[in-house]
Amino acid sequence: MLQVQGVSYRYPGKASPAVLADVSCSLGPGSLTALLGPNGAGKSTLLNLLLGQLTPSQGRLLWSGQPMAPRRPRLALVPQRSAIQWQMPITVRDLVALGTLAAPADEPRLAIAEALQSMGLASLADTRLSQLSGGQQQRALLARALVQKADLLLLDEPFTYLDPPTRQQLLAVLRQQACGGRIVLVSSHDWGDSLQGYDRALLLDTTLRADDRPDRVLERLQRP
Amino acid sequence: MSSDPTTFTWWLLPLLMALLTGAMGGVAGPLLVVRRRVLHSNLIAHAVLPGVALALAAGIEPLLGGLASGVGVTWLAERLSSRRLADDAGQEVVANTLLAASLGLGVLLIQALDGDVDLNSLLFGDLLTAGPADLLRAAIALGLLLILVCGRYQQLVFLAVDPEGAAAAGLPVRRLQQLLSLATTLVIVSGMAAVGLILAIALYSAPALIGLRTAASLRGALGRSAAIGMAVGGFGLSLLLDSPPGPVIACLCVPLLLGSAAAPHRGRG
Repeated sequence: MLQVQGVSYRYPGKASPAVLADVSCSLGPGSLTALLGPNGAGKSTLLNLLLGQLTPSQGRLLWSGQPMAPRRPRLALVPQRSAIQWQMPITVRDLVALGTLAAPADEPRLAIAEALQSMGLASLADTRLSQLSGGQQQRALLARALVQKADLLLLDEPFTYLDPPTRQQLLAVLRQQACGGRIVLVSSHDWGDSLQGYDRALLLDTTLRADDRPDRVLERLQRP
Repeated sequence: MSSDPTTFTWWLLPLLMALLTGAMGGVAGPLLVVRRRVLHSNLIAHAVLPGVALALAAGIEPLLGGLASGVGVTWLAERLSSRRLADDAGQEVVANTLLAASLGLGVLLIQALDGDVDLNSLLFGDLLTAGPADLLRAAIALGLLLILVCGRYQQLVFLAVDPEGAAAAGLPVRRLQQLLSLATTLVIVSGMAAVGLILAIALYSAPALIGLRTAASLRGALGRSAAIGMAVGGFGLSLLLDSPPGPVIACLCVPLLLGSAAAPHRGRG
């Protein structure tokens, strides 16, 4: 269980405004949650706090009832596209194999092959990452995250530039991961059709504006 | 101690020095290019000058002086650009200002030392004055660089392709960055006899770009880049032109860059 309790964050400097203010929520194992909000709403800041890259100015983060800082869950991140060095000479198989650094597997080759298979990339395993389409690249990153066997899987805007069928395919894989007992949190600008695939949606705009079923959050968003 | 041009093997030591420096630059280059640390390594190349000058004047190992001032200026740059100047423009301004200041300080120190240190050979290299100590230093630096690359290869690949994902996975990203900075300083100071300090950057850039564009893995890119670095060591041409090797190598890297732009990307492994 991940608990965010009254978390606020402001960047260093006396005059800087709060990026996050008094955010509280809990995410349990097996949940697939959308983290929604406009640009500057604090979505990436919240992810960075969960990753331990930032420290809350106020409030605390708990994992299984204990502070997250010393008791860190196993984390996997699929970052925004701009954070990836796509021109790096690396094959899809080698990229996915990096996941075993975080979670050494008894049979790493099998774990890698399964992840490639589940993302439909087996036939592209020896292709260089830069040669893939945007959707295939995103699936390759997700395959690496699957190999990491994380307790908490975080995805930052993973559906940017993806067509609707590819989005649905990725969502189905995320659903499988959640069903396997993981906590899956997806930061997204997209509050269209694919929002229906989630268990829950958090609407963030510095404060937490809504924490509810996706259809109810959609209704709220569509209200003038 | 210098090579003696009157002996029939006078060319051997400078040649080995040029090859080692080319290999060092070729191995370090791709690691810096994929991490977008070329400007940072150029800063280090300039930052080591004051420390090397002082160490040479004091008669102590120049590597120690270079490491001290290289690490000091790198630390200062990271402190300055970690908060209010954290955006790309701010970091660029910090790096370039400190780079110029380090060069300026180095020149002022060498002037103040009144001829004890040869500025030209520090900046542009002088293969014919390279001695066994330079060769040993370069061999040790290359060895340490290879140990870092072989021992941490997968971590370096993860860091290069996805630094945020690597940090999330619990990799020691900060320590890896520090090791890379330290290795860069070591390589730059060790290669100064062959290529000089401020023109070394060419040897870390153009061969790396060709390696990265044409190989299917980082390992392949390191190998190709090292081979190209050794080939453009500039030893022969430098002797032919009776010129310091640094400027020759820097000029030779331009056709390499053009070749790199024309080289096809490799698709399949």
